[in-house]
Amino acid sequence: MSEALPPTWRVPPWWVLLVGVLAIVCAELGGASMVRFKVELTRWARGAMLARPAVHGLVGVRDVDERILDEALVKFDAGLRLFHMHAEGMGLVIIATTMVAATVARSAAVRRSIIALLTTGGAGYPVGYLVWSALIPSYGLERAKTIAEWLVWIPFGSATIVGLWWLAGLVALRMARA
Amino acid sequence: MIRAALLALVLASPAAAHHVGAYVPKDNAVTTNFKQVKFSVQAKKFDVALQLYEAGALRTEMRAHAATLPAGLEDGTRAALKAGDGPEVERRLMIFFAALARDLALEADRRLAATGGKPESRAAIAKKFLEAIWRYYNLVDFAVAMRDSKTSVAVRLAFDEAEAAVKPATGAAAPADAARLRQPLQRIAQVLSTLIEASSTSARRDS
Repeated sequence: MSEALPPTWRVPPWWVLLVGVLAIVCAELGGASMVRFKVELTRWARGAMLARPAVHGLVGVRDVDERILDEALVKFDAGLRLFHMHAEGMGLVIIATTMVAATVARSAAVRRSIIALLTTGGAGYPVGYLVWSALIPSYGLERAKTIAEWLVWIPFGSATIVGLWWLAGLVALRMARA
Repeated sequence: MIRAALLALVLASPAAAHHVGAYVPKDNAVTTNFKQVKFSVQAKKFDVALQLYEAGALRTEMRAHAATLPAGLEDGTRAALKAGDGPEVERRLMIFFAALARDLALEADRRLAATGGKPESRAAIAKKFLEAIWRYYNLVDFAVAMRDSKTSVAVRLAFDEAEAAVKPATGAAAPADAARLRQPLQRIAQVLSTLIEASSTSARRDS
């Protein structure tokens, strides 16, 4: 009776690991900067919003405007926080999933495609939160969200989803054959 | 080709449903100070309430709005706190917040009368004013209802009507016109003015 050999894990290409690690480094730098420059960032965002009253629907009545500004500042801060969180998480996701892809995918073309989708999607998606946050003072909440969606979240998020489903299908196929 | 397009659509939907956080409106300095004073009064800690009132945004705001408030409202509130008269403090604060809400309703009406442009932009302005009006009025609605339930109901009905005009039912072509938006705002201002006048008159009679 022979025991099944344990699978040998393969390391993804070095540039993929570099992207994963850089995503985590950017997340940490973003988080640290957010704390260190919180006052400056808030002051800048508030000033930029007050300079564009029409964009934010400010009416010049303090009781009305303070809530609009507060919501925009909360979302501006949330965008930075979400960038920190997603970049940290996606860095790890890139490393883990590309390692699985490098191990499971036998065809070189398939392996390269999945790794490219997971790496570009995983590294690009968190940047959408940074873009959203940076655009809020100039374009307003909804317009900034729409721009971030079409420029970053949808293309890079879709790349990650396609890559993950493709990888899941391959793993399922390998399990069915085993 | 069709399959590819379908796949793109299926994938775009979850990608668009990304998480961007939720906003929970916070109290401003005036409403925070009001709650501090109110809870201190309810706990019969009048010395604490007086300190919070004298150092807080409520008194500063009362002074800033002195021109549109009944005469002596600020002094009377401080005197009631010193005397440990809870119902009188509540009544005076009710008048103050009713006045703030009334002033906002009047300003909203003035803006809507002056605003040209699209119905959507008028509705957006009205919606923001309604939120601000409700933030203040909601704090004292219970006190209003205890003293004059008809006024409370009238304000609520006018507010509901204004909200319905700002947010038309699904499928409606466009938000309501300026005249329809202004009517409930004018009614809110008028009902609250009557309340303020009646409450101030009864206070003068009592004193």
